[in-house]
Parts: sequence; C-alpha cells; structure tokens
Amino acid sequence: MSDNKTKSLLETAEKLRWDVGSTFHEGVVESIYADAAHIADRAVNQKEKSSYFDLDRTIDGLVTSRLFGFPLMVLMLTVVFWLTISGANVPSSMLATLLLDNLYPLLKTASSTIGLPWWLDGLLIDGIYLAMGWVISVMLPPMAIFFPLFTLLEDLGYLPRVAFNLDNMFRRSGAHGKQALSMAMGWGCNAAGVIATRIIDSPRERLIAIITNNFALCNGRWPTQILVATVFIGALVPAHLAGIISALAVVTIALLGIVLTFAVSWGLSRTVLKGEVSTFSMELPPYRPPRILQTIYTSIIDRTLPVLWRAVLWAVPAGALIWTSSNVVMGDLSIAENIVEYLNPFGILIGLNGVILLAYILAIPANEIIIPTILMLTVLSSRMDSFGAGAGVMFELDSLEGSLAVFQAGGWTLLTAVNLMLFSLIHNPCSTTIHTIYKETGSAKWTLISSLLPVAMGLTITFFVAQIWRLVGGVG
Amino acid sequence: MSNPILALTYASLLLATSFVLFRPDEGLFWQWQRQRQLTHRVLSEDALKHIYKNELINNVTTLDSVTGAIGISGNQTAILLNEMAKHGLLQVEGTEFNLTKRGRVSALHILRAHRLWEHYLAEQTGFVESEWHERAELHEHNMTLDDIDSLSNSLGNPTHDPHGDPIPTSRGDLVYHGGIPLSSQEIGQRLHIVHLEDEPKTLYSQLVALGLHPGMEIQVLEIGQHFVRIWAAGDEHVISPLLASNISVVPVSEPDLDDMDESERLSNLDIGQSCRVMRISKQCRGLERRRLLDLGVLPGTVIKAEMRSPSGDPTAYRIREALIGLRKEQASMISVVPL
Repeated sequence: MSDNKTKSLLETAEKLRWDVGSTFHEGVVESIYADAAHIADRAVNQKEKSSYFDLDRTIDGLVTSRLFGFPLMVLMLTVVFWLTISGANVPSSMLATLLLDNLYPLLKTASSTIGLPWWLDGLLIDGIYLAMGWVISVMLPPMAIFFPLFTLLEDLGYLPRVAFNLDNMFRRSGAHGKQALSMAMGWGCNAAGVIATRIIDSPRERLIAIITNNFALCNGRWPTQILVATVFIGALVPAHLAGIISALAVVTIALLGIVLTFAVSWGLSRTVLKGEVSTFSMELPPYRPPRILQTIYTSIIDRTLPVLWRAVLWAVPAGALIWTSSNVVMGDLSIAENIVEYLNPFGILIGLNGVILLAYILAIPANEIIIPTILMLTVLSSRMDSFGAGAGVMFELDSLEGSLAVFQAGGWTLLTAVNLMLFSLIHNPCSTTIHTIYKETGSAKWTLISSLLPVAMGLTITFFVAQIWRLVGGVG
Repeated sequence: MSNPILALTYASLLLATSFVLFRPDEGLFWQWQRQRQLTHRVLSEDALKHIYKNELINNVTTLDSVTGAIGISGNQTAILLNEMAKHGLLQVEGTEFNLTKRGRVSALHILRAHRLWEHYLAEQTGFVESEWHERAELHEHNMTLDDIDSLSNSLGNPTHDPHGDPIPTSRGDLVYHGGIPLSSQEIGQRLHIVHLEDEPKTLYSQLVALGLHPGMEIQVLEIGQHFVRIWAAGDEHVISPLLASNISVVPVSEPDLDDMDESERLSNLDIGQSCRVMRISKQCRGLERRRLLDLGVLPGTVIKAEMRSPSGDPTAYRIREALIGLRKEQASMISVVPL
C-alpha cells in the first residue's frame, strides 16, 4: 500500500472515531455478550428443578437469616478456635519434648564431645537451634489444624456467605466484604492473611485489608495472651472463676482487634487511601460436600508449610541475635542488659518495661518466642540463678507459679500485664508478615506504613492506659 | 516515675500539634506541600489552559481573568504572562491575550493529559466523581508527551472524558460536543446531555448528586424566573438557572433506549420477586460495567432476588443459575421490568 493511501485511511479512521461517539466501544462489547447469551440459551437445556425442597436455599436461609446469621458465624468461629487451641496442645508439647527436652541435650553433649568452642556451641545450639525448635513446636500444630479447618469451610461454600453477611459493615468503613475472609485467615497467621487479600480486586481496598490484617490476633500471639491472662487476670478472681475470666480477657483482646480493624480501615479510607468503595460482586457458590483428604493435603502444602518454612528461616537471625546480645559484654553488662537499662525509663512510662520492649525488638522475626525471650531476659537482668539455663538460653516454665515468680521479680504489676496484652495485639507485624507484605505490594512505602502504623498506635494506646491507670490510683 | 498528669498534658499537646499539621487535606503540612507544588511551570500551564478555553467559547482573555483563574496576585500574573509572551506562547494586543500556534499546541497537550487522567480516574479507580477534576489538575503537570501517549493507549484511546469533554488526539484534533446550555431550551423537548461543567466543584457536586451524567436523556418541564424544572433519572428535579447553564445538551436525534420512563431498578426488587433486565445505566462504566456483563446481566436476562444479607445489604440475586451478591449501589444501576 502506498504511503498516501495509508495516510488517508488513517485520517478517515481518525474522523470516524469522533463520529461514532464515546459509547461505541461498550455497545460493541454488549452486543457480543448478547449474541453469546442468545446462542447459549438456544443450545443449552436447563434441567427443571423441583420446587418443593431446595437444600441450598434452606441452608442459605439459615446462615444469612437476621436471627441466626451472626450467632452462627460466631459459633462456627469459636468451634474452629477451640479445636485449634485444644487440639494443638498435645502435639505442641510432644514437639517441645522432642526438640527442646530430648534433642537439645543430645546436641549439647555432641558438641562438647567434638570440642566446639563455647561461643560457637552457644550461638548455634543455644541461640539458633532453640529459636527454631521453639518456632516449630509452637507454630506447627495450631497451623496444621487451623488452616485445614479454614479450607474446609471455604470448600464447603460457607466462607463466601460470611463475606456476604459482613459486607455492609466493611462497606461503611470503606473496605470490601472479602476482607472478612482475609481477616479470618489472619487469625491463623497474618502472613497467610496478607496473601489471602489477593481475592480483593481493587488495589485500594486490598491495601486496606493488608495494612489492617495485623489487627487479627494470630496464632503466634494467642499463647502470650493466654499465659499473661491466666497468670495475672485469672488470679484476680476466685479460683473457680479464673478459667472463664482469663478466657474472656483474651476474647476481649481479639474483639478489640476486630474493632481496630474497622476503625483503621475507616481512617485509611478517609485519608491516605481515599476513595469510594468499589463494587461488590461475589458469587455465592452452591454448597458441596468437602473433599476432606485433598483439602488437608493442599492446605498443608500450600499454606502451612510455606509459612512455617519462612518462620523457621527468620528464627535463625533471631536466635543468633538473642544469644549474642546476652553473651557479648560491654562494660560491666551484656549488650542485652545495657539495652534493657536504656529502654527501661520509656518502658515504665508506657506501663511496660525495658525487658518487654527489647523482647519485642529481638523477636520481630517470630511472635512465638516472645514469652521465652521475656523470661530469659528477666532472669538475666534481675540475676536470678534459680531459674533458666544461662545467658541467651530461652526457656519456658512448666508451672504458672514459676512464671509468676519470674514476672514479679522483674517488677511486673497488673498494669504491665494489661499493657503487654494490648501491645501484643497492637505492634508491628512479624518479619515473615513484613516480608510477605513487601512481596505482595511491591512497595517499600506501604510496607513501612503497615509496619510502623500499628507500633505507633500500640505505644500511644499503652501510654494513655498507663497514665490514666496511675491517675485513678492503680499501682504501676 | 513521671507525673501522670504532666505526661498526659505533654502527650495531648503533641497529638494536637500533629493533628493541626497532618490532618487530612487541611493539615498545615499538606497545605505547605501543595503551595510548594505551585511552581512556575504549573502556573504557566494553567494560564495556557485558561486562555485556550476562553478562545473556544470566543471569550476575551484579560489580565484579570487570568488572575482569577490561577489564583495568584495581579502583579505576579503580569510577570508570568510577560515571560510567556517572551517564550512565544502568547501575543498581547492591547489588553487582550491570544495564544500563538505554539501556545495552542502546548495548551492542547495539557488538556489532553487532564482529560485522560479524568478518564483513568473514572474507569479504573474508586475516587468519587467530585474528586476527579482536582486530582487530574495535580497530575496533568507531571507528564511527558510519552507518558500521555502511553496512558491514552492503555485506556484504549478514549475520545471523551467522563464529563463529556472531547479529548484532543496526539495530533491536536478536537471535535467540540456542540451542546447548548440547558437553560436556553424549549419546554418538552427530549434532550441528550453531552457535557457537565466540572468547575466550580460545588456546582458539579450538585449535578452529580442529581444522578446526571453525559449520554443521559432528560426533558425540560418548566422554565421559571428563578428555577428550571426537569425530568431526569426517573424523577422530577427543580434546579437553579445557574446549575442549568452548566449542563450542555443536544436534541435527541433518534429515539434511543429510553431514560425517561425508567419504571424500576433492580435494587427495589423484593426478595422472591423476578424481573427482566432492560439495560445497565450509562453511569455504570468501565470495569464495573464489564463485570456486570461478565456475570450475564444483559437486556432480556431474567433475575430473581433470592436473599438479603442480615445487615440489609448486599442482596443475592439468581442470575443465569448462579447466585451473585450485589450491593445496593450496583443493583440500582440496572433497570428492570418486574415479572
């Protein structure tokens, strides 16, 4: 074709574009769809359904009814948590016995037999190995139970109904109903929750879901909550009420997390992530009998193991850091003690203490090792010789009385306990989650915001709680 | 241990200060940042745009009108215009300013960037309509010619922005919509909206709140001295003549799908009721529209309302054998005939 001809053709095309108007494109798309629908209607025969009884409709009527919809959701969630926590106890302690009580002394003996220098032995076995062992024994069993249960509910078709029920509340806070699902996933593990936000199409609402996922109290933080609640809050009431009161305290914290999720979503969608809530069009699939074996297999391969593997990798630097900081001496004290001294005034000001703050810095890689780290650091800095296994060696105590004794020696009060529970809910995500957020958003800015926003909130909230507590005469 | 009252006071002061500084939109820090962005280049580009728009409607551009449009002092404007004349962007005749050929090309590029941005915001983001213009104002100045072209390509080279303004092509071609203000129309005539003026923001927000959009069909019912009564979006509205003059319309040439007698919207359907789809409103655009089409919401499709969320919204509809949850705002975009 000659150049002239091309040019005049292009010019005609350009002119025609203005003549056909702005809705031309959509008109074409619509007529293509209409044709497709017409062909399908002609060629496909629909089976007549019996109108007497439709199981799907009956179930839907129940799970989305005004009366039973929300109670059923809470019930379902409670059952999942109860199965997770009570079911994980036994395998967790078995793993702990194997990795920490049996294998650890064996490794120690082996290293002294081959004559490893004390610092290498400490760094590798007391630091890195113990941190890894701890993460595996605390993290693996609950995740191996929670994720398959969660996937089963998903497979069954129940979870889309949860999003359907909750969408209105999320819409009002400027977020998407599917955030209900990523939030629920976050109760298992925030890193998995962040990955689960992929189901949200709109980038704005997906970011909101990612940033607020940290307010879903993850499995790794439940043990801290339960221990502190039992030791301090359960002790306030008569023994027969202790169990229920401390359980209620933990549930209150988890509910506070949900409230914060809505509040922060609301705040974000009115400031940095301004915008209208995009559309909600979600298929509510028919109920199907779940494929149990396949579900368990895929959820362990796709969700549990990758998350666990990343957590174990992150435990390596954490363990090394914890051991090194408590064993390298600067001046008269170890690095860890120096930092604790330095952080203590600020820690006390916000109703915590230097040990807790340092533990939260050292244990950024994994929330699972918070309690062992706090115990070890408390024993180290208050020079108690009757507990623990030496500087930099994390441990946990079998008896609640033992934990209480250590905490009291560290100067803990009821305020410390309450603020620790608050701070455990409202602080930076663990490094596994931060890493995942970076991979999912591809943006250093949003990763930074998701990491720093909760810490800033946590410090502010604990600060105000502490001041008001002291003002009304509480001891702290 | 520190005194709690003292600590509380300090912290409250700190929080108050950061609120004043960083409060969304109106915080002093953001205001300062916006001020800083008003560079020389931004101002001269805004002046170009103003003169160009005036030329389109045969208005005379004076020093005062430029000063008013870009919001700096008269003195500064004079210096700015002088400099622009020196660069060959405009020529001065008495008190009048006119664009040179070069000035017109630059103005078209900025207009192109602005309208493409508005198109992008409308089709692919969740920002509310009244914010499109302001956000585009910010972005239009930070784009190279290549950026503008690739944005246009990624949007499928649209011809009109969401307000109905034509988008100049990369060669500077532009066809004006040719609409006349609604305020000077005959009563009873059926009209198509071709353009909604997006400035000033307060008036535009009112137009948006009425549910008006380019491509919609409306009718003038009565023109009084201080009001105009119109029929639009299935309802009667009384608007001020000022508002009416911001709506440009052309007479309907051929009887189109009818926006006039919208009987029912999908969102008004009771649970258990069925209906047949008439069409999806033109207000529903871009991804949102395509998603509805993907789900099989087409003229003629039968839809049944199955159940409502316990919190009242969304509602699940049976569409082509699938159960789909839709929010109220989306369902109200679909016109239906109840069966």
